[in-house]
Amino acid sequence: MDSTQAGFHIRRRLAPGTLIAGALALAVTLAGCSAPGSGSGGTATEQDVITAPLTAADVAELGDVTLSLWADQAEEPLMDLLVPAYEAAYPTVSVDVTYKSFDDLIATAVNAAASNSAPDLFQGNIGYALDGALVKGQLVRPLDDVADVYGWTEGTGASTLAPARWSKDASTFGSGTLYGMSPISEVQGIYYNKAKLQALGLDAPSSIDQLKGDLAVASQAGELPIMLGNADQYAGAHIFSDIAATTQDPAAIRAWIGGDPDATFVTEGNIQAADTMADWASKGYLGDGYDGLGNEDAIQRFADGEGVFFVGGSWNGAHLNDDEFGFGPLAAGGVGATASPWHISSSSDVTEAAIAFLDMLRTPETGQWILDTGRLPVITDGVLASDELQKQTLTALKETIAAGTQVGYYDWTTTDMFTVLGGGLQEVMAGRISSEEFVETVQAAWVEGHGVE
Amino acid sequence: MTTLAPATAVVAARGRRRSFRTSHSWSSLLYLLPALAFFVVFVIYPIIVSVQTSFYDYDGLTPATPVGMQNYLAIFTKPALQDALKHSMVLLFFYAALPVCIGLVLAGAMSRIRIYGLTLVRALLFIPQVLSSVVVAVSWRDLLAADGLINEALRLVGLGAMTTSWLGDFNTALPAIGLVGTWVEYGLCMVLFLAGIVTIDRSLYEAARLDGAGPVREFFAITLPALRPQISIALILTITFALRNFDIIWNTTRGGPGTSTSVPSVYIYQDAFQNRMLGQASALAVVLTILILLIVGIVQWLVREPDPSGLGGGTPPTRKRGHR
Repeated sequence: MDSTQAGFHIRRRLAPGTLIAGALALAVTLAGCSAPGSGSGGTATEQDVITAPLTAADVAELGDVTLSLWADQAEEPLMDLLVPAYEAAYPTVSVDVTYKSFDDLIATAVNAAASNSAPDLFQGNIGYALDGALVKGQLVRPLDDVADVYGWTEGTGASTLAPARWSKDASTFGSGTLYGMSPISEVQGIYYNKAKLQALGLDAPSSIDQLKGDLAVASQAGELPIMLGNADQYAGAHIFSDIAATTQDPAAIRAWIGGDPDATFVTEGNIQAADTMADWASKGYLGDGYDGLGNEDAIQRFADGEGVFFVGGSWNGAHLNDDEFGFGPLAAGGVGATASPWHISSSSDVTEAAIAFLDMLRTPETGQWILDTGRLPVITDGVLASDELQKQTLTALKETIAAGTQVGYYDWTTTDMFTVLGGGLQEVMAGRISSEEFVETVQAAWVEGHGVE
Repeated sequence: MTTLAPATAVVAARGRRRSFRTSHSWSSLLYLLPALAFFVVFVIYPIIVSVQTSFYDYDGLTPATPVGMQNYLAIFTKPALQDALKHSMVLLFFYAALPVCIGLVLAGAMSRIRIYGLTLVRALLFIPQVLSSVVVAVSWRDLLAADGLINEALRLVGLGAMTTSWLGDFNTALPAIGLVGTWVEYGLCMVLFLAGIVTIDRSLYEAARLDGAGPVREFFAITLPALRPQISIALILTITFALRNFDIIWNTTRGGPGTSTSVPSVYIYQDAFQNRMLGQASALAVVLTILILLIVGIVQWLVREPDPSGLGGGTPPTRKRGHR
């Protein structure tokens, strides 16, 4: 290599080296030395507590304002009815709604709430992953004064507020300060194909034991007993929770989900429920390849006449017509849960307008709209169902709320419970681990997530 | 000790070169400034923040607390993460080794046999690489379903006993996802190798044929050694794809059934966006990056060009003649 050649190589080589050094220097300056997050955090200012229902005049004191909303796109039919009614009642406020898919909403809500342009009113999701972060970061306004003033704490829907109540340090939920409100509820139960039940000479099952017998009959007749799509890992977990709730005290299940340090998942009822799941899977009651089928595909196949039963939440009913399908609860009263709660941003400038909107979300009129748009309202007084399937679902919901069996979903309890429980259950059903190992694994993840001894 | 030798040689060479600095390099820097600014803001800065975050317990909202090496220790003590690394190693075979072999065979065949409409065939075989990976994942989810096309085909030829829900079965889910990756990557390898084959001096083939070499001998004696740079590039691309693969797995199995198809990137996503454990996610991302660099580095060293001048200092003590 002669010197001219070497010189040529040097110029080409030096530049990148210097560039990288410069880039690193710049980046280090940009990154600074502070710990992540030290500059952010909630605005923990004292809130103006309300003492009486807000009138249009109270809201008008804000001047002409815009109320910005972030909502799940499933709320769009309801918002199309509610927003015009709200703008008519509060003419000084114009509502600006941004719709997001559920996945998108839960992935971005916390960061949006922590930003300078946080939406005034938005939907979170019950549990530690989203609502817990919002409360811990002091990003949402406490709503106890609102609940008192508008009478949310009385009447049939009062118990549905529990999942939005948090302890001061956001370590447990289910009781404590109220931080959100959902006007929509869900109920778990069993859908059945009426024609197939009749052909098999069966009645709609009202208990787990009756269902077990029915499954054997259906299987012998060559029908697929239960249509299940468990690729998303939650459909199986929902069946498990339905079975588990039939033998256990709903309060104990709620305590475990809420993070009560004395609660445990290692119970006889849970082991039995896991045994039942494994038994059904091994007998072929759940069909082949349920772990390779998504829930959306499964409900579509059930709607097309495949399978005798479908165990799942009331939102699946939107795919089914009331001529061919019926619905009933499995446990006494059934298992249920509240849908994504609405939160008021603690940095909102139009809190009064947001409170007025929350009030309107929780009226019987809105309850009727909720039912008419295919969901189930928390406020059921005076709400009328328009067809048989809707009526059955609404009855199951009312009984659930009255019986206090709205235990919620297991995956609320820790941020990783969805995969721990859903994935673990897949292993139980495939016969790879025992029911005892399953409940121990779930409890271990729960202990780690809650930091309890 | 042999591994240390090249490093020392490079350092020595650098030291010598510094004295030749000229003023020209600074004006050329100006041209690079816009691109450099983007690179620093969108690549270097996030990397530094990731490394920094990995030493903290941070939920993205409340101030972070330093935890030292705890996030890294967790990676090497959690059985779930060790399983995920094992799954990645299995995927290396399907995402990197298999596509390179298939690509070599196809390229070797295409360079010899005159196929009518070769451009079209080549384009068709390259399509998987062009498709968005979400489209690929959703399509394969349907193909591999219990009543999907693949099982239908098996039943048609009397192999009904073999059918299963490929993505829902603990034993077949990982290989099934692996084969999806093979399908995505072999087209890229093939195109790279075809481009390489074009540059091979045709007279070499003539000489080989005159010496009585058949197609196989010709492939191993001329084509394969000449494709060394392309194989090296194909391996960099496919190995990186294999180890950081997320979208295909997330859109087919989400790491299930159970945890049978979980890989590090699934846990990175879950920790960062679902569990709000940004420190843990960053630590895993850092480890994954180092792992990718390490494996790519090792593979590059294995397939490197033998340096006839000996100046690079990287010549291994025993040089293999030919290839395999």
